[in-house]
Amino acid sequence: MDKIWIVLQSEFLRRVRTRMFLLTTLLAPILLLAMALLPALIGYLGSRDATRHLAVVDSTGVLLPRMQERAPATLRLEAVTLPLDSLQAAVRQGRFDGYLILPTGLVEGDATAELYAEKSLGLSFQSQVERLLNRAVRDLRLERLQVPPELVAALRTEVPLRQYRLSETGAEADGTVFFSIIGYLMGFIIYVATLTYGSLVMQGVIEEKSSRVVELIVSSVRPFQLLMGKVLGIGAMGLVQFVLWGLLLVAGAMAAGPIIAHFLDPQQLNLPANASTQELLQAANITLPPVDPLLIVWFVLFFLGGYLMYSSLFAAVGSAVEQQQDAQSLMLPLMLLIVIPILFITYVIENPDAPLSIGLSMFPFFSPILMIVRIAIGSATLWEAVLAYLLLAAGFLGAIWVSARIYRIGILSYGQKPSLRELLRWIRT
Amino acid sequence: MLVVDQVTKRYGTTVAVDRASFTAVPGRILGLLGPNGAGKTTTIRMIAAILLPDEGRILFDGRPVGPWSQALMGYLPEERGLYRKLKVEEQLVYFGRLKGLPLMEARRRARAWLERFDLARWRHHKTEALSKGMQQKLQFVAAVQHQPRLLILDEPFSGLDPLNAELLKDIVLELKEAGRIILFASHRMEQVEQLCDDICLIARGRILLAGSLREVKQRFGRNTIVMEFDGDGAFLDALVQEGAIRLINRTNHRVELALCNGTPPRRVLEAALPHVRELYRFEVTEPPLTEIFKQVVGSQSVPATSTHG
Repeated sequence: MDKIWIVLQSEFLRRVRTRMFLLTTLLAPILLLAMALLPALIGYLGSRDATRHLAVVDSTGVLLPRMQERAPATLRLEAVTLPLDSLQAAVRQGRFDGYLILPTGLVEGDATAELYAEKSLGLSFQSQVERLLNRAVRDLRLERLQVPPELVAALRTEVPLRQYRLSETGAEADGTVFFSIIGYLMGFIIYVATLTYGSLVMQGVIEEKSSRVVELIVSSVRPFQLLMGKVLGIGAMGLVQFVLWGLLLVAGAMAAGPIIAHFLDPQQLNLPANASTQELLQAANITLPPVDPLLIVWFVLFFLGGYLMYSSLFAAVGSAVEQQQDAQSLMLPLMLLIVIPILFITYVIENPDAPLSIGLSMFPFFSPILMIVRIAIGSATLWEAVLAYLLLAAGFLGAIWVSARIYRIGILSYGQKPSLRELLRWIRT
Repeated sequence: MLVVDQVTKRYGTTVAVDRASFTAVPGRILGLLGPNGAGKTTTIRMIAAILLPDEGRILFDGRPVGPWSQALMGYLPEERGLYRKLKVEEQLVYFGRLKGLPLMEARRRARAWLERFDLARWRHHKTEALSKGMQQKLQFVAAVQHQPRLLILDEPFSGLDPLNAELLKDIVLELKEAGRIILFASHRMEQVEQLCDDICLIARGRILLAGSLREVKQRFGRNTIVMEFDGDGAFLDALVQEGAIRLINRTNHRVELALCNGTPPRRVLEAALPHVRELYRFEVTEPPLTEIFKQVVGSQSVPATSTHG
């Protein structure tokens, strides 16, 4: 036992001390944030500078002014009276992004509006024009029926809907979307972490074997102790990294509130100018539902369980080869097992209580990713989580046993790369 | 005392070690000789408790070897290897701790040994910065720093310059004086002859010969002649054709030969005198170990191949 501890210490320290560790620990969240924010940013920038310019042939003579009145700044509607072929030419030359035909009888519902463009202008643009047009037609019809303005206002009413979740402590703001995102993130982080730390373990095993230092080590410790020390040491490094990320996250969240509040206008939110950050955020509806500490505990537990299972198998693969490149074919079955839950993660988020979701989230090779998703969403009952964890524990104990049997032979076998069948023979002997 | 008793190890259908038995005693150096692939490394790994024998037992002080004996044993494997990225001292401390030394003690010893091997100023360098010879010394330190009672050295001098080889040899002899059991595996016969008290010859997994070096040599008799001379060596060829002698080693001015078919030594001297200009040395002696090795392994190969073929 103390030998495992000595190996663990050494494996942990030699990694944590490196500049690489510091760099990845700091850069990973930035990278993650960038990856999450980039699409939104690109979308925002893209929509901002894309002012669309449409030519409108308005044969009704009444719709276009109403549409222009309500059109956003990014949409310019210009009345034209050109014949069709010169309109087409104008679009081809790029003077317009497209042209809109509003035939007579449109208001009465006897005709169809037509939008022509050289290339697709996007789904959101189409629905934007559609909304504008419909509103103009509806307003016009209501006016013609001489509907009183109060009734028009009544018809336009839009009531916001907010969801709440019932819990033991009472009703809380519902965070279905929020918790789906949290669940997805947690599952995804476990996936990336398992893969990253797992391949670190494998790399370490291959290094020891190809540098031949392993023979010296196993003349002092049992192969099993070396395996466990290495797996636990790198796991400890991973935990430290997680804790640091957690701290960064908390610090980030604490800093984010005041920064966002800074950009909020108290007047718009009907608050006095000296309103507190908390009041501002609440009024702007940017508060996040509280995260259950138990969820964090489950997250760490499932990460550790999944890591133990996969990394010991990665170590077994590493022990069987002498070079990283040779590991590919043996890693394939492992990679498949890791990727399957990622393929199902959206299905589970959308149908957390479906029998398939429950079944998959119980299976030890998938549960680290899929069960944490279900726990985050709040669909898994306590006993389901506990049962999944017991199965996972059985899974990682089994995986460690199998790996240790491959490892003890693999580390001293040089020469030809063993086949899967040979590995099975090693397990049996 | 280390007793290897009827030990067999198989890999699939091939027998790597076949009912091997020998004994190593404190204060003596046992040379483990054998051609490549003879089963030396497998035997050593079983003694080091890295591999388990399929049959037979290996006893250290009367107890089967295992983790307990690993702590009392130092091992320098033939295939050298260290952690390239670890610092020199850190590396030694790690190995020392794995052998059961407390942290502070491991540090103290690592420093003392680095001093002795003139590596002290490399203490905080990464191991990969060291030359091959220096890494070799480092590995040797890893094998001896915890004062093992059993020391296994597999080709310890390969790749070392004469000065460092001498340093290593001194330490080995020191440890021998201190009553350690030393196993010395090599196929460099002259080194074995210089260092070992006992030898054990392995080929194709079998022990062909075991005993004290002197006794083994005596067993092969004083039928070897070493001659140093000036002049025409053609008389030797005539003797070979007659079947009176067999050449072991021949250079311009020096020859080692074996007497065959009861040829008396004076017959060689008589044949030589009319031809050589001057004679500096004529010695009747025991065969060199190389010769014994060739004889034993060579004679073994005939029946071994016939039973398989």
